[in-house]
Amino acid sequence: MQYELVLLTFLPLLGALAIVFTPKGAERLQRLAALATTLVVAALGVRLFLAYGDSASDPGRFLFELPWFSLPSSYGADTAVNFKLGLDGVSLLMVTLTAVLMPIVILSTWGHVHKRVKEFMVWMLVMQTGMLGTFLALDLVLFYFFWEISLIPLYFLIGIWGGERRLYATVKFFLYTLAGSLVMMVAIIWILWTRGTSDVFELINILCRAPLEEQLWLFVAFALAFGIKVPLLPFHTWLPDAHTEAPTSGSVVLAGVLLKMGTYGLVRFCIHMLPGAAIEAAPVMMALGAIGILYGALLAWAQDDLKRLIACSSVSHLGYVVLGLFALTPAGINGGMLQMVNHGISTGLLFLLVGMVYERRHSRALDAFGGVAVAMPLFALFWVITTLSSVGLPGLNGFVGEYLVLVGAFQASPLWAIVGLSGVIFGAVYMLMATRRMLFGALDKPENRELTDLNAREIGLMLPLVVLVVWLGVSPNTFMAKTQPSIELVNLRIAEARRAALAGLDAAPTAPATQREESAR
Amino acid sequence: MNASVLKTLFSDAAYAALAPLFALGIGALAVLIAGLFPIGKVARGALVLLTLLAAAALNVGLLLGDSVPGVVLDGTFVADRTTAMWGVIFALGVGLAWLFSRHYYDEDASHQNEHDVLMLASALGMSLMAGARDLIVFFIGLELLSIPLYALAAFRRNRAKSVEAGLKYFLLGAFAAGFFLYGSALIYAVSGTLRLDVFADPASRAKILESPMALVGVAMLTGSLFFKISVFPFHLWVPDVYEGSPTPVTGLMATGTKAAAFAFLLNALLALPSSTSTSLALIALITMALGNLGALVQQDVKRMLAYSGIAHAGVVLLGIAGAVAGDPKQGGAVQAALFYMAAYVATAGGAFGVLALLERDGERMTTLEGLKGLGQRRPYLAAALTVFMLSLAGIPATGGFLGKWMVFSVAVRAEMIPAAVVGVLLSVVALGYYLRVIIAMWMQEPGEESPLASTRAIALPATLASAACVALVLVMGLAPRWFLDHM
Repeated sequence: MQYELVLLTFLPLLGALAIVFTPKGAERLQRLAALATTLVVAALGVRLFLAYGDSASDPGRFLFELPWFSLPSSYGADTAVNFKLGLDGVSLLMVTLTAVLMPIVILSTWGHVHKRVKEFMVWMLVMQTGMLGTFLALDLVLFYFFWEISLIPLYFLIGIWGGERRLYATVKFFLYTLAGSLVMMVAIIWILWTRGTSDVFELINILCRAPLEEQLWLFVAFALAFGIKVPLLPFHTWLPDAHTEAPTSGSVVLAGVLLKMGTYGLVRFCIHMLPGAAIEAAPVMMALGAIGILYGALLAWAQDDLKRLIACSSVSHLGYVVLGLFALTPAGINGGMLQMVNHGISTGLLFLLVGMVYERRHSRALDAFGGVAVAMPLFALFWVITTLSSVGLPGLNGFVGEYLVLVGAFQASPLWAIVGLSGVIFGAVYMLMATRRMLFGALDKPENRELTDLNAREIGLMLPLVVLVVWLGVSPNTFMAKTQPSIELVNLRIAEARRAALAGLDAAPTAPATQREESAR
Repeated sequence: MNASVLKTLFSDAAYAALAPLFALGIGALAVLIAGLFPIGKVARGALVLLTLLAAAALNVGLLLGDSVPGVVLDGTFVADRTTAMWGVIFALGVGLAWLFSRHYYDEDASHQNEHDVLMLASALGMSLMAGARDLIVFFIGLELLSIPLYALAAFRRNRAKSVEAGLKYFLLGAFAAGFFLYGSALIYAVSGTLRLDVFADPASRAKILESPMALVGVAMLTGSLFFKISVFPFHLWVPDVYEGSPTPVTGLMATGTKAAAFAFLLNALLALPSSTSTSLALIALITMALGNLGALVQQDVKRMLAYSGIAHAGVVLLGIAGAVAGDPKQGGAVQAALFYMAAYVATAGGAFGVLALLERDGERMTTLEGLKGLGQRRPYLAAALTVFMLSLAGIPATGGFLGKWMVFSVAVRAEMIPAAVVGVLLSVVALGYYLRVIIAMWMQEPGEESPLASTRAIALPATLASAACVALVLVMGLAPRWFLDHM
């Protein structure tokens, strides 16, 4: 069954190819084909999730490797670049989220994608392959391949189906992200040349012993690419534009998964691969994360456009992820990883809801609403649940992640934890204000009286996510138990680097975790 | 000349080495003669195609064979695997230009025969340039390439722009040729030889370069070659000539000429002392900046691709600069340049080809305005052009990406990291204009200036050529192993 990962990654691409060859007008067929493909992928993803960490399951199932080509290296032989996919605790939740979110997104397009349906579905499916590949790639070159390829579909999705200023937004998005990626490319070239391997796990063993100065340079190059993607202050300005102009489904994927490619990269490469540099850079990164939380919250507070508000709240929520990850404590990293999933679900839901109300009202300005709860009680129910999840009400998913992040951050730096904590308050302020202005108050605008409530499709597509919101809130261990062993390895690496830094060495050559590397080389 | 010299000159190895050149020469003559007889367009076309295929096959034979002839003709010509790979690339470039030219000319169709002969002659010139290890042999190749191109640039003689392009190219090309010969003469005066191998040995190189006369000579040679590859400050002719020339010819200039000049330049520049690497890198970066910034403001896609071609030449030059600075990987720069140019020939050749197809539909189609909404009217053509744009921009899954990767690798290996970082950031600027083409095709509705949907079907040769380009670009990006192993 070792082809499961390949199947998971490339099934969407196959579906996209199939849709390319459907007749031009057959929109229903194209929609259903896309939905069927993503449903199969989701089923595969859930199966893998359930099997992962199960002692009875074959570990080879989660790894796939094929020789691909080779590039020059400073060792006599060339560096073998392999087509290596693998699932571990760091990528598990992201892969599952990507698989599960996509059918929901496709189903949501029934309401808002009416032109050029065929192309839309093709790009959506191509994007899924790009995202899954990015999370699963365990070869640095392959990772970079998928990382850049996944830009193109969103570029088209925003550019063709976006709002008024879509061209500006989509070019800005593309150029910003690419600028960061290309610096990372130079770093990857350097690693390949000097280390003679592009295998991520091997490099994790090798690079932690690199001199601190080299680690720091590499860290800067990687963090720039990932920081722009996350987006981390001060590189966040592309995000509100991209979100505002993107079609609903594009926003959901962007917030739900694409941004997580950045935070995933931070964990996998900046922290796990370069722990020494991560320790050095942690104060800066925590500061950026904490200021991002506060700044994003204030930005969101000032917005009048619902979609822009949620986009700014994304900046704030991703600040938690970065704050938690770079606390470099077990609680912080666990919380950061969980918060990645939480943000994907809650913000995804929020964008879906905004999309639904926009389809009916054709406005996203907060002033245009008021008393919508009377006209759309079911919508109001979903909105309130999602809002509460987003602001971190205990019992729902947001709470667990934020709590762990703040505990972790407090252990590392009380100052930034307190700054981050204030973001929680502002978060509640702007979300609840938005809720009040939209749902409650007088139903004084005639257009709002005629709004129809959610239909069965809309409820059906959101239900799985709402279930997850509660599940993650009540029993986060279902998910964290699976990721725990891998995060433990990250923690081990950090502890090792700390000891080495204390001992005044660049790295600890005798530390236990680095010994495995010798046999690997 | 006694018998033993003749024997070495005309040895079996020499024939094997020159076989691809013979094929091209004989083919060109055969097509010329065939023009005297009314044998029909298809038969003549088959003859051209056969010639190119024969040349390519002979080169592939050299590439895959157990042994290569190596240096022949008294050290003036080399036929190794690199030359053979260049030969394949040239055959590809000329073949593409020729396929796209098949239905391009309306009013000048009666001279199609001469057109084809000129194209084959230019292919012969390119192959000679790539293998030359002697300045005079190189010069013969250069002229064999350039003179047909002057004529081809002005081939649409009813159009003022085409004639202007031909004249401009000819005048400046003549200056470049003059520079080359004068530079060669100066070097000969100092060193007593025109062979490149005197530069390969550091001791004799240092001795020659002590003389200011030789330095002037080297500078003149370099300037003349920079003219051919369109590198700062010898790049100004490119936009006008590229825009005015018939589009298939522009494609040939952009791909074949540049590849041939690089093939020789790699040998010539690698003989330079490593102290020149900084200035080479600087020139490369300036070239990239000027090319990219120039392209950013163009409305005409042909002109835009001309500027983008300047930028691409800068990228390869950066790789060469890295190699001059001391690339620890033996032959790494040659491999990188070969891969880059192979990908560029397929990409730019295909892009100019698609533009040639569009141009037939109406005069203004090659502007951004004219491309608006192309995705709706001609989805396959627009998809092909999209792939080419992404490859030019160096996005993964295309050959352009791996080419960029390898060329920048040379710079990184030579520890020219700042130059590499500036270089990659300049390629972000490049993305700005490649994206605009994609935007026009897919994201904008047809404007008033965009011609209506054409019902004219695209001819078979052009369809095949575009499909082949797309396939090649993707194969080089996704499964590059064969190319990497043979370059």
